[in-house]
Amino acid sequence: MLITRRMEFSASYRDASGATLGHNWELEVTLAGPVDGETGMLIDLKDLKSVLEREVEARFDHRCLNDDTPYFRDRAPTPERFASLLFELLDKALPSGLLHRVRLSPTRDLTIEVTR
Amino acid sequence: MIRTLRRYEFSAAHVLARSDWSDERNRAVYGKCANPAGHGHNYRFELTLEGAGPSGDALDAIVRSRVLDELDARLLNREVAAFRLVVPTAENIARHIWDTLCVALEPARLTCVRLIETGNNSVEYFGS
Repeated sequence: MLITRRMEFSASYRDASGATLGHNWELEVTLAGPVDGETGMLIDLKDLKSVLEREVEARFDHRCLNDDTPYFRDRAPTPERFASLLFELLDKALPSGLLHRVRLSPTRDLTIEVTR
Repeated sequence: MIRTLRRYEFSAAHVLARSDWSDERNRAVYGKCANPAGHGHNYRFELTLEGAGPSGDALDAIVRSRVLDELDARLLNREVAAFRLVVPTAENIARHIWDTLCVALEPARLTCVRLIETGNNSVEYFGS
């Protein structure tokens, strides 16, 4: 079974030319695992939501990726790096091995997909 | 390989609670979804089919008679036999749709049931 939770957040960044850009980033987080026989759930969505609030919203929403977060001081926040970072952060925060896929869309025309 | 993805919608109410648990325990596990009065969703689901088999109107007729007529405009816990003892979580509804359609759609092979509960939550079931 796969379960997918979708969210959006707003963040700005500077591209290689130094221009500041902003997006409503769309994030789809997919977990894979067995369904708990007692609860009928793969994960409690309330728990998943609070992990996303803590790991994603609190760190990145309404922030500048270059200046307001420690991850992109020395390297450009490309969508590929950002998606990989989100995968790492969520993989650490979720029960072991549950994270299956992260899809990050800076715009509706571009999606970066990260799997294990 | 040619795959067909066909989408359907139904509206239904459910309560996430086990009858063998106390109200407190149901509330602790399922939160506001445990409200005994129920709440509803406009569910959408997407079937992925491979190989020759029912398509078009024939496919829709099977899905209507076996799934939509059973689930649409129902309180799942009370009106659908499969959910008298099984909590109608999104995971269990996807599995129920799979179990209902898998054989009925032969010789086409059902490879995925994706159930979309809200714009932000969905599950996918592949038969195991």
